[in-house]
Amino acid sequence: MPDRPPLLQAEEVVKHFPAGLGASVKAVERVNFEIYPGETVGLVGESGCGKSTLGRLITQLLPVTSGNIFFEGVDLTKLGGEKLRQKRRELQMIFQDPYSSLNPRMTVGDIIAEPLENFGLLRGRAKDKRVQELLKIVGLNPYFNNRYPHEFSGGQRQRIGIARALALRPKLIVADEPISALDVSIQAQIINLMEDLQKEFQLTYLFIAHDLSVVRHISDRVMVMYLGKIVEVADSAEIYRNPRHPYTKALLSAIPIPDPDIQAKRRIVHLSGEIPSPVNPPSGCRFHPRCPIAQVPTPCAEIEPPLEEKARDHRAACHFSEKVPVAV
Amino acid sequence: MTAPVLQVKDLKTQFFTDDGVVKAVDGVSFDLHPGETLGIVGESGCGKSVTALSILRLVQEPGRITQGQIIFKGSDIVTMPDDDVRDIRGKDIAMIFQDPLSSLNPVLQVGFQIEEAMEAHQKIPGKIALSRAVQLLKQVRIPAAETRVRDYPHQFSGGMRQRAMIAMGLANKPSILIADEPTTALDVTVQAQILELLRDLNEETRTAIILITHNMGVVAGLCKRVLVMYAGRIVEQGPVDQIFKDPQHPYTWSLLQSIPRLDADRKDRLLSIEGLPPDLIKPPPGCRFHPRCRFRIERCFHDDPALMDVGPDQDAACWVTMRRALATDGEAHA
Repeated sequence: MPDRPPLLQAEEVVKHFPAGLGASVKAVERVNFEIYPGETVGLVGESGCGKSTLGRLITQLLPVTSGNIFFEGVDLTKLGGEKLRQKRRELQMIFQDPYSSLNPRMTVGDIIAEPLENFGLLRGRAKDKRVQELLKIVGLNPYFNNRYPHEFSGGQRQRIGIARALALRPKLIVADEPISALDVSIQAQIINLMEDLQKEFQLTYLFIAHDLSVVRHISDRVMVMYLGKIVEVADSAEIYRNPRHPYTKALLSAIPIPDPDIQAKRRIVHLSGEIPSPVNPPSGCRFHPRCPIAQVPTPCAEIEPPLEEKARDHRAACHFSEKVPVAV
Repeated sequence: MTAPVLQVKDLKTQFFTDDGVVKAVDGVSFDLHPGETLGIVGESGCGKSVTALSILRLVQEPGRITQGQIIFKGSDIVTMPDDDVRDIRGKDIAMIFQDPLSSLNPVLQVGFQIEEAMEAHQKIPGKIALSRAVQLLKQVRIPAAETRVRDYPHQFSGGMRQRAMIAMGLANKPSILIADEPTTALDVTVQAQILELLRDLNEETRTAIILITHNMGVVAGLCKRVLVMYAGRIVEQGPVDQIFKDPQHPYTWSLLQSIPRLDADRKDRLLSIEGLPPDLIKPPPGCRFHPRCRFRIERCFHDDPALMDVGPDQDAACWVTMRRALATDGEAHA
């Protein structure tokens, strides 16, 4: 891990949503991590694990229930009003659905110019020039600025969303499933574009996705989430070769590989049951009811395993991480 | 080889829209053999789902089958009276869809819906129907099937709903099960379980499966043979082992190169297929893939290639084929 200070640091971040009758959905529960300048951190997990909520907490689109999020040393959770608004320029987001995240009544030029206007940065000719420049950067025709979103394909709309995110020259971009809604042949275009932009503008990415093969490709480090907790963090090659949490192992074993010989030899790690409700998560390790190597009741159902260093730069939250069988 | 259970011959399905005629399926032919697992892969709009819907004559207005034959047990589904098609649907050929939640009726018990599928084709006393429903739920590995049979769809998880749909599909012991993106809406761990279930059911019941998907990995895990579709046509077909190892159509090859692989050790730049799939109202002349193809030659611009023999049991519709493309590419770089 680099010895420079992290660009973003989450400390004991918690998000609970009220679920009626005094109950609450524990979407994110005491999460800690860092993101260093210039790296791409992948955040993976299945639906409902809290990964999108965590993305929204980081960009302050949702307020935290408790905990701190430091961005360049400043605690975003303590900021409000104008100070937060100014900080947000450096934190932008790309959304999953390029259809619902662009206003259909605005021209593409206006969509991309909106952040510039919000911060009163550029006007008139200079603004138009910047919009055209942004369109060119994301690989679109700069003279398309007068067209409306419906005139574009899904992949092109995602490029528009990326241009909007780049408009304020942010440092960190949180991309929430940016390619899941796109066709296979278009996905590679967007991944390549994001990689090129990262190099060109020294961007830092938090890349949220359910597809571990995409995440492994784009990320330097990968965090795996399960039921509101980060269960494993490691270098992306390391996490694939040497998973130290049984959930990561199960997730890896389930991802289809487009090679019939390999597919025939692989074994799926079966998880029993379903993902429990985040309203009332299991005691101890949240994964224990489905874990193939859990020792119940003790320690797995009683003591929550901390996310701790199992090898160099490799953290996992499991009492028996040494028993997780190695690669697929 | 045994006689095919289903033969699709030069199928054309078109949609008559205000903007023009969309040639969604444009001359597709293939055979399906008993007990076979056949994958149809391609991107949205390539015609894979419309092909499947055409087989059961479920294409909705303004769509119509305009040409071709679909021969099932000696008769042509395309020209059959409606009643005869209804007898085949769900009995001989069953279909499951991407979104199990919208395919199930939310106000009826799951068991009742399975019984309904059976009773549509045969008279069976209620008690027997119920016990068959329980048995089917067990077959698709739903735990505590005896009590779960009385549950409503909302009490099932996404994976269980898809299992219930599969149970319904199998209720009349069909000879063909068509699964249209059956795992696309599911999480990966659940997807893996559903694919494993389909694989086991195919072995146990010898029901032939047509799996429609955009995911090459899913095909690799379940199917023995694959059709690759692009812009309404089959561009390559053959055994899965062969096609994944030695794809001959540039589209198949590019698709396989463009997906990041979990087992890839180096982080090479992904190969991206530039441009967009063509407009099917006015498809490009010549080979439909030529505007996006990096290996095109002059002939591709005006001469439309038919499927040609390119390997053992493997056909591709390409004037160049990857064998030649990569050979000349090597020379160019040497």
